[in-house]
Amino acid sequence: MTLPTATLRALARPAPAAFAVVVAALAILPVAFDMSSYSHNLLTLTFLTVTGALAWNWMGGFVGQVSFGHAALFGIGGFVAARLVLDAHLPPPLAWVTGAVAAGIVSLGAHPMLRLRGPYFSIATIGVGEASRLLFTYWESFTGGASGLSLPIDTDLKHQLYWWGLGVCAAAAVASVAIRRSSLGLQLLAIKADVEAAGDVGVSATFYQDLVVVMSGAVVGLTGGMYASYFSFIEPQDMFGFDRSIALVLTCVIGGVGTVLGPALGAVVLVLLRENLLASYPQLYLGLYGLLLIFIILFEPLGLTGLLLRVGRLVRRR
Amino acid sequence: MARFVDLAFSAILLAGLYATMAYGLGLIYGVLRVVNLAHGGVIMAGAYIGWVLHERAGLDPYLSIPIVLVACFAIGIVLYRLLVRHLPRGAAGGPASLLLLFGVWLVLRNAAYLIFTGDDQAIRTSYSTRALPVLGSYVSVNRLAVLGIAMVTPVLLHWLLRRSYVGKAIRAVAQNPDSCTLAGIDVERIYTLTFGIGTALAGLAGLLSATIFAFNPTFGSAELLKAFVVVVLGGLGSIYGMAVAALIVAVVEVFAILVLPSYLTSAVGFVMLVLVLIFRPGGLFGQRVLG
Repeated sequence: MTLPTATLRALARPAPAAFAVVVAALAILPVAFDMSSYSHNLLTLTFLTVTGALAWNWMGGFVGQVSFGHAALFGIGGFVAARLVLDAHLPPPLAWVTGAVAAGIVSLGAHPMLRLRGPYFSIATIGVGEASRLLFTYWESFTGGASGLSLPIDTDLKHQLYWWGLGVCAAAAVASVAIRRSSLGLQLLAIKADVEAAGDVGVSATFYQDLVVVMSGAVVGLTGGMYASYFSFIEPQDMFGFDRSIALVLTCVIGGVGTVLGPALGAVVLVLLRENLLASYPQLYLGLYGLLLIFIILFEPLGLTGLLLRVGRLVRRR
Repeated sequence: MARFVDLAFSAILLAGLYATMAYGLGLIYGVLRVVNLAHGGVIMAGAYIGWVLHERAGLDPYLSIPIVLVACFAIGIVLYRLLVRHLPRGAAGGPASLLLLFGVWLVLRNAAYLIFTGDDQAIRTSYSTRALPVLGSYVSVNRLAVLGIAMVTPVLLHWLLRRSYVGKAIRAVAQNPDSCTLAGIDVERIYTLTFGIGTALAGLAGLLSATIFAFNPTFGSAELLKAFVVVVLGGLGSIYGMAVAALIVAVVEVFAILVLPSYLTSAVGFVMLVLVLIFRPGGLFGQRVLG
């Protein structure tokens, strides 16, 4: 999945002005228009999904380590935040951040796995994800076991989560662009392309992978905490579920792995798909995702972003 | 003591099943350098094919073995010709082949769900509940039959790979596909065959499991991961190495019930997977699977 430099540059620097306009428009949208609470909530969830996908992409796209276990960090962030709200009565935003820090620290546990590359890393992450799902479901005193945890319902907070979500989403997007543009981004690309060659030119794969896994884990943990506040009810089988990990992978692959625009695009498409098409055919969603995955890998490894680029080239040629 | 014998028997039986699941995965990885994530899906498919033949046609599961083998071989051929052939090989194709075959798995799972619903099924025969006294404990006839087949399979596979012309060609392609082209071996044909044999073995494992355990469309995911542990631990050097690895995995898993709360025993396989990948990526016998 290598890209020509010009394309990389185009992807890494989507016009900042356009970005600011989109964020500002989204921020005043609920105020300017009388939005139904359905679309309000749908957008909130989309922001959280995009944030998680962008963070997964730092690991899966920038470093090229495809993780099938990020649900573990989502769950840890969610349950730590929920516990802090319930037991320590912390204000939710503070609880989210603490949950994020906890998830970031736990992510460091992946350190010994990071020398595995490619499929071996991915398969090890499946093991970690599933083992933590079982472990946290068993740990009833912390997660409430199969019956889960209920948080106090706070409709104001749920309403405000729209802007919190938009905020972290925008921050994650800016961070993605910043990483891509910085020397860190180049070092990650070098690790992705060839670990040994990267080592030869002084790029420590160990250090940078640790760094990225912590950043990625913390942000996914943050979205876990916000998700807990959003739903006011969480249970480990769902929070740590394999489906959550897959959703992150699919979002990025469908949108375009390793790009900045991709995860956002993928999340929007997946949410739209889920709400419109799959609401009527819920039994088809896995197979449809599978088919999308197959087509993308075979025909357009850069996903929707690649498709957009192709269309852009066609238009320019005319 | 009786409990110990019980556990030992179920460990040996599980080992037979795990080994059967692992041969196909190991064969495909060894020759094509592709981790077949769809393996779990084919295991599930094998179970359902056997179940349908038993329910609809009244065919004994052991008599349906050839049909399941042929059907899953055909699935493998189609998958290879249609999809896997177009993937980049080796390290470069890592994430791509993983994701593609993962997509295939999702599609298989969804197809099974649409056809058979998500209900648990099992193949129940007239002899399912019959048992023989062995060493003061009772062992089901069915389990003994499964074990017998699981022990014949590696012998046949070993013979196929060591003695037959096709087997020699498969091993040659695993070593160096370019030289094989020079020697007049149709490498693409060997790849197709290997993929077919690998998936046929997965189908066999699925059918055998279905005579003992209940299954549903999600069946095969935990099995795939355990098969992967066996492949990594056993190395690709020999069929029998994998059998030993399967025995180790099964013994650890079964005897974990003595020290762990029963809910957590299903996590043992996953933890083992991670530990093996971290601490013993070269396998037990030194033949590295990982590049």
